[in-house]
Amino acid sequence: MSDKPSDRSLLNALLGPEGPELTCDQCFAELDRYVELELSGADADAEVPGMRAHLQGCGACDEDHRSLRALVEAEST
Amino acid sequence: MLKTRETAAVRVETPLGPSAGAVVTPIKQAQPTRGPDAESRAWVSGLAIDGSGGQEARARLHELLLRAARFELNRRRGSHPHLRGGDLDDLAHQAAGDAMMAVLGKLDSYRGESRFSTWAYKFALLEAAVKLRRRAWQGREIPLEPEHWAVLAGSGESPESSAESRELLGSVAEAVETVLSPHQREVLVAIALNGVPIDVMAERLSTTRGALYKTVHDARKKLRVHLADRGLDLGDARDAEGR
Repeated sequence: MSDKPSDRSLLNALLGPEGPELTCDQCFAELDRYVELELSGADADAEVPGMRAHLQGCGACDEDHRSLRALVEAEST
Repeated sequence: MLKTRETAAVRVETPLGPSAGAVVTPIKQAQPTRGPDAESRAWVSGLAIDGSGGQEARARLHELLLRAARFELNRRRGSHPHLRGGDLDDLAHQAAGDAMMAVLGKLDSYRGESRFSTWAYKFALLEAAVKLRRRAWQGREIPLEPEHWAVLAGSGESPESSAESRELLGSVAEAVETVLSPHQREVLVAIALNGVPIDVMAERLSTTRGALYKTVHDARKKLRVHLADRGLDLGDARDAEGR
């Protein structure tokens, strides 16, 4: 097992996601709606275009998304 | 070298700061007929009461935000073994307090497109995560030179590397050096290559997550355009390892 990142992960980190993406502010503004759409089974990516690409490109916003989704899931069980 | 500086994590008016222009894009607004549910309406009306009348709602909000902050810190405590229980509880209270100010300051912007609790949670989660990242990097120097430069330069070949991806990595390494501005290179290398949290980098540079991500986005775009102009097929090379 090596700590060395794969070529693919380096390329993705350096070149970022393809296509248009939200800004961090837009991501934060839409995050609650996006998470509830996801958890309801709706097509969240169609409702909030650019969100998925931003989450792939911004590690901090991706962590915020995972945390909010986990918390809302935990609260509903 | 960049220095550590303790500042408030998030501004009330713009939690992630100005983004210096939108990266994108039209967003579909939720159906206007939906509106908040009864519980969410009760939250908003309770919090809108000034003085002692709204005290109970504000106390409940603080409790909700503290629960969310503790949830976030508990999720991440395994990655931060040096932080003790007391440190984490202090961070949770700081995060809940700052999130409380943010929520009350932005109450007018709540559109009822999600439950109020979901909307409020995100402020506490953001505050807790930012504070934890900054605490973890407190006093540490930011690595600005690529720690994986050997890999980028082509000398770090791994068994799973393909000729395509190695060639592309070499071209990317060259482009990072020659195409990007010094600021773009410093920011992209620190965040994308060296794993420096964007909030930590933003604090050291006295800017915001939003503004810094715009720098990352512009740098990536410049690299992709440069590589495409040289005839490199980015999609194929980036997918090559998965074949």
